[in-house]
Amino acid sequence: MNNEMEDAIDHLLREQFEGPVPDDGFCDHVMTRLSARRRRNTWPLAAGTFAGLTTCWFSLWFSPITYAGWRDWSTGELSAPAMVLAISTISMSILALVWTITEADDRYDLASRRMIR
Amino acid sequence: MICVIDNLADARVDDALVARVLMTDDRRAFEQLVRRHQGMVRAQLRRLVHGDNAKADDLAQETFLLAWRKLHQFRGEARFSTWIYRIAYSCFLQARRKRSSAKEDIDGDALDRRTSPHGAAELRIDVNRAMRCLSAPEQNVLLHVVQLGLSHDEAAYVLAMPLGTVKSHAKRGKAKLRALLADWQETSEEERAR
Repeated sequence: MNNEMEDAIDHLLREQFEGPVPDDGFCDHVMTRLSARRRRNTWPLAAGTFAGLTTCWFSLWFSPITYAGWRDWSTGELSAPAMVLAISTISMSILALVWTITEADDRYDLASRRMIR
Repeated sequence: MICVIDNLADARVDDALVARVLMTDDRRAFEQLVRRHQGMVRAQLRRLVHGDNAKADDLAQETFLLAWRKLHQFRGEARFSTWIYRIAYSCFLQARRKRSSAKEDIDGDALDRRTSPHGAAELRIDVNRAMRCLSAPEQNVLLHVVQLGLSHDEAAYVLAMPLGTVKSHAKRGKAKLRALLADWQETSEEERAR
């Protein structure tokens, strides 16, 4: 089927479509039937975050490498534990950066797709 | 270009209204969303139920009530209008399953190919009849892609079909329509020649 023919079929179909239906009280009727929205419980997320952070804090607090690393880092000494701590911090920052860029790319793709339409 | 900007601006307005509903349960913001989209959603459903306006309006109402309850699930991956079309289509499918009247959708009315239309009204009737001769997926794809103006990607999202399937249904549907409407085309060419 050539493009001209396809355009003609598209044109016919669009002409045959009646378009949006007038409101005629539909919206008001819907609004009278809305129930109260249930608030999402936020406490499980908050409790989980708190539990995770506490566990992480305790496990690192009693780890000698973290303590030694922190001590050496704060005194400016480039020891092995300080390097481990620095590399861990940098790696986590890079991961967070990559994740942010990926998310931003997804949103950009979505916006582009909307533009193409 | 103006149309593209309009689409983008419309999507932004929708996103802002959705954010207001989610943050403050703002009913007036949701009312605006309903007012902005009810026309096209009801038109979509009227086509899907083949002109049973009362049924279509019941389904449209169900669609918006469901959207109100499930709005927190809207992640902005698609435009709000596409998301609401998808809910409407799901409501339609559920209602059809309940009625188990798929037969009526597939069979449709037989096309009277002997008609010899002379004007726009006759052509409109013929296009309607020709549409009913297509399979249900072909009708649905053409409705969403051509008549509602969604992209193939968006139609795939609304109809929960793979993109390739949407494209092939659109192509096949148009080819069938062309064949079914060939009589009208020949007649109008003859008339033009006279």
